[in-house]
Amino acid sequence: MKRNVGGFLALAGIALSGVAGWAQTAEPEEPANADHAECTFFGPKRAQFLEAALGAARRPRRSFSQETEEIVGRLGGNRGNDTRQFVPGGSRTYINQQSAGTANVVDRHIFGVLQSRGIEPAPRSTDYEFMRRVSLDLTGRVPRPERVTAFVSDSDADKRSKYVDELLQSPEWVDKWTMFFGDLFRNTDQIRATNTVRRAEGREAFSAWIRQSLLTGKPYNKMAYELIAAEGTNSWTQGELNWQIGNRTTGGPAQDNFDQMAASTMETFLGVSHFNCVMCHNGRGHVDSLSLWGKNTSRLQAYGFAAFFAQTTMTQQPRDQRPDPNIYYWSLANVRTGGYSLNTTTGNRPPRTPIGSTRTVAPDYPFGDGATANAGETPRAAAARLVTSDFQFARAAVNYLWRELMVRGLVEPVNQMDPERLDPDNPPPSPWTLQPSNAALLRDLAQEFIDGGYNIRALMRRIVTSDAYQLSARYPGQWNPDWEGLHARRLVKRLWAEEVYDAIVQTSNLPAPITMTVTTRIANGAAAETRVVPWAMQTTSPSSRGGATAFLNAFYPGDREDTDRRRDGSDQQALTLMNNALVMNRTRSSTSAGQDSLLKKNINKTDRELIETLYLTVLSRLPDESERAAAGKALTAGNRQQAAENLLWALFNKVDFFFNY
Amino acid sequence: MENESKFLRFVAGHPHAHVPFYARPAGSRRDFFRVLGTGVAGSFLASAPAQAQIVKGAAVRPRNTAKNAIFILLAGAPSHIDTFDLKMTDGITPTAFAPSTIKGVAWNTGVFPKLAASFDDIALVRSARAWAAQHTLSQTWVQIGRNPAAVLGDIAPNIGAIVSVEKKPERTSGQIFPTFLALNSDGAVGAGYLPASYEPFKFAASQNGLPNTTNADGAARLEAKYSLLQGLDGPLRAQSPYGDPMNDFSAFYQSARGLMYNAAVDKAFKFTAAESARYGTTSFGNALLTAKQVLEANMGTRYIQVTLGGWDMHNNIYATQAGQTSIFSLGKVVDDALSTLLADMKGNGQLNETLVVMMGEFGRTVGPLSATAGRDHFLQQFVFFAGGGVKGGRAIGITDATGARTKEFGWSAARDVRVEDVEATIYSALGINWTNIRYDDPFGRGFEYVPFANDGLYQPIDELWT
Repeated sequence: MKRNVGGFLALAGIALSGVAGWAQTAEPEEPANADHAECTFFGPKRAQFLEAALGAARRPRRSFSQETEEIVGRLGGNRGNDTRQFVPGGSRTYINQQSAGTANVVDRHIFGVLQSRGIEPAPRSTDYEFMRRVSLDLTGRVPRPERVTAFVSDSDADKRSKYVDELLQSPEWVDKWTMFFGDLFRNTDQIRATNTVRRAEGREAFSAWIRQSLLTGKPYNKMAYELIAAEGTNSWTQGELNWQIGNRTTGGPAQDNFDQMAASTMETFLGVSHFNCVMCHNGRGHVDSLSLWGKNTSRLQAYGFAAFFAQTTMTQQPRDQRPDPNIYYWSLANVRTGGYSLNTTTGNRPPRTPIGSTRTVAPDYPFGDGATANAGETPRAAAARLVTSDFQFARAAVNYLWRELMVRGLVEPVNQMDPERLDPDNPPPSPWTLQPSNAALLRDLAQEFIDGGYNIRALMRRIVTSDAYQLSARYPGQWNPDWEGLHARRLVKRLWAEEVYDAIVQTSNLPAPITMTVTTRIANGAAAETRVVPWAMQTTSPSSRGGATAFLNAFYPGDREDTDRRRDGSDQQALTLMNNALVMNRTRSSTSAGQDSLLKKNINKTDRELIETLYLTVLSRLPDESERAAAGKALTAGNRQQAAENLLWALFNKVDFFFNY
Repeated sequence: MENESKFLRFVAGHPHAHVPFYARPAGSRRDFFRVLGTGVAGSFLASAPAQAQIVKGAAVRPRNTAKNAIFILLAGAPSHIDTFDLKMTDGITPTAFAPSTIKGVAWNTGVFPKLAASFDDIALVRSARAWAAQHTLSQTWVQIGRNPAAVLGDIAPNIGAIVSVEKKPERTSGQIFPTFLALNSDGAVGAGYLPASYEPFKFAASQNGLPNTTNADGAARLEAKYSLLQGLDGPLRAQSPYGDPMNDFSAFYQSARGLMYNAAVDKAFKFTAAESARYGTTSFGNALLTAKQVLEANMGTRYIQVTLGGWDMHNNIYATQAGQTSIFSLGKVVDDALSTLLADMKGNGQLNETLVVMMGEFGRTVGPLSATAGRDHFLQQFVFFAGGGVKGGRAIGITDATGARTKEFGWSAARDVRVEDVEATIYSALGINWTNIRYDDPFGRGFEYVPFANDGLYQPIDELWT
C-alpha cells in the first residue's frame, strides 16, 4: 500500500510539472501493473483522481495560499512560535496515510467511501477547534482557558485521546448524557398527550436512575433491559419504572397501553418508529415508500410484539402521608394471566377483531422467527431480552449517539430505520437501496459496541478519537451539500440551550443557579420542596427551570413530549443573546457582585492581555490579527471599563460562541 | 342522530386518515426542506411559498372572510352550563347569574354583563362535544385539531403554525412581526414537524412590550457594541467558512435588530396602565389588548393564541369570596377583557377581518354540584365565535334541559361539532383550503390540515356565515 501511495505522489508530481502535456492527453493510460487493479488510485478510478489532482494544480497558487492564510489567520494561527498543528486543505493523502489502513473502524469506512468517490476531506481540525468541540460534545461545557493553553502547548502526540479520556471520566460527562438520555427516554413530570402524571418525584427518580447508570458505566443493554422489564411498587423510589409509566395511554382499552409500550420500545430501542403505524393496520398500502420491512409487515405481527406487554398492569398508589386522591405514585407489575385479545371497538386505535379463528394473540417477536418467552420468564422480560440481544438494538443505539456527535445520523431520521435495508451483506432487492449513508460502518460499529459490552463511553471514545470526527468544519474547496452524509467535513451545530447558558455562566465566572421544584405542591399541605443546581445541564426536566426558563426556551430545548430538541436559529435567540438579563448582568462589571468575575479580575491587564484572556476564556481560542486590531481600537476609545464590557458582550454574541464547529 | 352514530362508527375505525402512497404526488421531504430550510441549515429564510406538490387539496371554496385569528384557550375546561350554554337549575344555580334572554338565547348576565352588549357579534355553538375529558390530552387536541394519542399526534403542528406556513409568503418587506404569537401560553404546542421558523413566538404580554427589545445599557451603547460585534464577527457571518448555519444568523440578528428600539413595535406591544385598566388590569386582559394592537399594526402577525387557565373548578365553583377562583372571578376576567376587545375592534373595523374563537378543552358535569361543590370533567362544551365575517347574535345547536347532550345539532353535518370542525372553520375563514395535505411529513404519508377533511368527514361550520 505504501508503495502505491508513493507512486501516486510521484505521478502527481509529474502532473504538476507538465500540466499542458497532460491536459492534451485525451485519456490517460491505465497502468499495466495488475497489482493496482483494486486500488482506487491506480485502478479504474485513476482518471478521476488525476483529474482532481490536475484541477488542484491548475488553481493559481496565489489564490490557494491566500485562501489558506485567510482561514488560518481567522483562527489566529500562522504566528512564528505557534505550536498548533494545521494541515492545509488540498493535501488529499495526509489523512488517508493515517487512516485508511488503521484499526479505527470509523476511519476505515468514512475515508474508504471518500476515497472511492474521489472526495477530498476537509483538513484536520486545529488543537483549539478540537478541544472546544470535543469538550462541548462530551460534557456540554467549554474548556477552561488554562486547560486550553496547556493542551495546545502539550507536545504529546497522544494528547487528543488522553483528553478524551479525561472528559469521559468527568462529572460533566454524566450531566450532559443524563440530559441526552432524559430526552431519549422522554422523562417529564407528565405526558400531556395522555394525561399521565409522573409528578416531580417520579421525574427526579427517573433522572437519578439515568445518572447513576451512566456514572457507574452500566452497559446500555442492561439499561434498556431494566426499563423494558421494570417491575416495582413505587415509581417515586424506583426510577426505572417511569419509562413504562410514560407509555400509559388514556381513553382506550388496555390494548392501547400494550400497543404504546410496544411502539415506544420499537422507537427508542430499535429505531423503528413506523412500527406504530403497523399497530393499527398492515404496512402494505401505508408505509410502502418508507420501509421495505414495514411494507411486508402485518397488523397481526405487530400484535405479536404487543402481546409481550399484555400482562402488564400500572396502578395508581396513594401516598399515605398525603391523603389527596390526586397525588399518587405508580406501581408496575406483571400479572400471570391475560393475553392480547382481539376484542376492542373503541379507543385510540381501530377496532381489534378476530382474525380467522384467532381471538387472542400470543407473544411472537417480529424479528425472531417465532421467538417467545422462556419457561419461568414473564413475557415482558422476554421482550426485554429479545430486544436487547437483537443486532438492531446495537445499530439503533449507535445511530442515535452518532447523530449527536457527528450531527447527522448514519440513518436519518434516526428513529426511522428500515430493518430490511440496513445490512450491507444482504442488500435489499432493486429498486430499494441500502438506507444508511455508510452501511458497513453502521454494521461494524454496532458489532464493536456489542463486543465491547455495550459500553457507552467506549463507543463515544471510538467516534471522537477517529480522524473523521477530527476533520475541520472549514472546507477550503468547493463544497457539495450531498457530501454531508459522508462526513467529508465537520458539520457545525448550534449549542444546546443548556450549553449556551452554562457557557455564559462558566466563562463570566458569575453564577446563575437554577431552582427546580422536586416535590409536589398540594392544596393544603406543605409547600413544594426545591433543589438548586448551579448548571442548566443539571436540571432534570425542561418543565422545571425557574427563572432560567425564558432564556433556555429561546434555544428550543424541546419538551420531551411533542416537541423535540432543535438546533435551528431564530430572531428570538438573537434578541435573547443581545438583551436578556443573563447576558447583560454578566457583561457589566458595575452590577457584578463577584470579585472573581472574568471582567473584574482582568480589567487591569494590558489591552493585549485582556483581549487574549477574554478570547481564550469565552471562545477557547486566541484572536487573529484583525480581531486584535478591532478589539484594541475599541478598548482605547473612551471609557475602558465600558469598552471591556462591550467586548465581552460581543464575544457572547459571536456565532463561534454559540456554535460548536 | 343517524348521522352522529354513523360518524362515530367511522371515527372509531379510523384514528387518523390514510393516504395511500400511490395517491401522493412526487416530491419528498428533502425537496420540501430544500425550499423551507432544514433544522440543521437554519430556517429563517424559509418564507418561500410552499410548492404545489407539497400541498394538495380538494376543490373547496374557503370563506376567506378573515385576515387574522385570535384563538383563546380557556384551559382547565369551563363549565358550559354556567357560562355560554346557561342552564338554570332550581336551588343550585346562583341567583346572581341574573339570567336573561337576548334574541332568544339564554345569557348569564350576572357573569357576562359587558359581553352582552356585543351579542350581535357573537355566535355561540352549543352542539359541541369534546373527544376526551383529560386536560392535557384535550388541550393538545384543540391546538392541533386531531388526536394527540394517535400515531401522527406527536408530530402535528399547532393550527397557528399551519396558518403561519400558509400566510408567511404573503408578508411584505415592512412586515416584521412574528406571524404566529402565543401570549401567556408557555405550554402552547409548537410547530411539530415543520421548520422552527413556524414556531410560535411565546411571551407574556406586559406593559414593557416585547421582551428583549431594549438593551439595559441603552440604545447608543448598543450601537457601539453592535458595530464592534459586526467588526469581529463579520467574516464568520457572511460566506462563513463554517457554512450556512452561521450565515443564517446575520439574518436573525438583522431581523431582531428591526424589532428593537422600533416605535412601531413599542406602539403595538406596549400599553399604558389606563389602557390595561380598560381590559380589566389582568394578564389575560393585557394579552387581548396586545393582540388587538398587534393586529391593528398590520405588521405581519396573523394568528394569536391566548391562554387563560384556572377553569378546572372541582371545588366551590360558585364561590364569591375575594381571592377564590370561581365562575364569578374568572368570568369577570373574561367579561372585562373580551368585551373591550370586541368593542374596540368593532369600533375601528378590525372585527370584520379578525376571527375570534374561544373554547375550553371540554365542559363540566351538569345538574347538581359534586360533594365538593364543584363540577367534574364532561364532554359537552361550547365554542364561542365572533368577528371575521361570522354572523353574530345567535346560538347554533341546542342542548337538552340539563346541558348534558345535544338536542338539535343546528348545522348541516347533523352531528356534534368537534374540534376538527372548529379547526376547519378557522382555516376556511382565513382563506386556507382545509382539505390540504402536505407531503413533507416524516412518515412521507401526507399530513392533512384537518384529518379526513378530504373524505368530507369534518368540515367548516358554514352556518356561522349564513
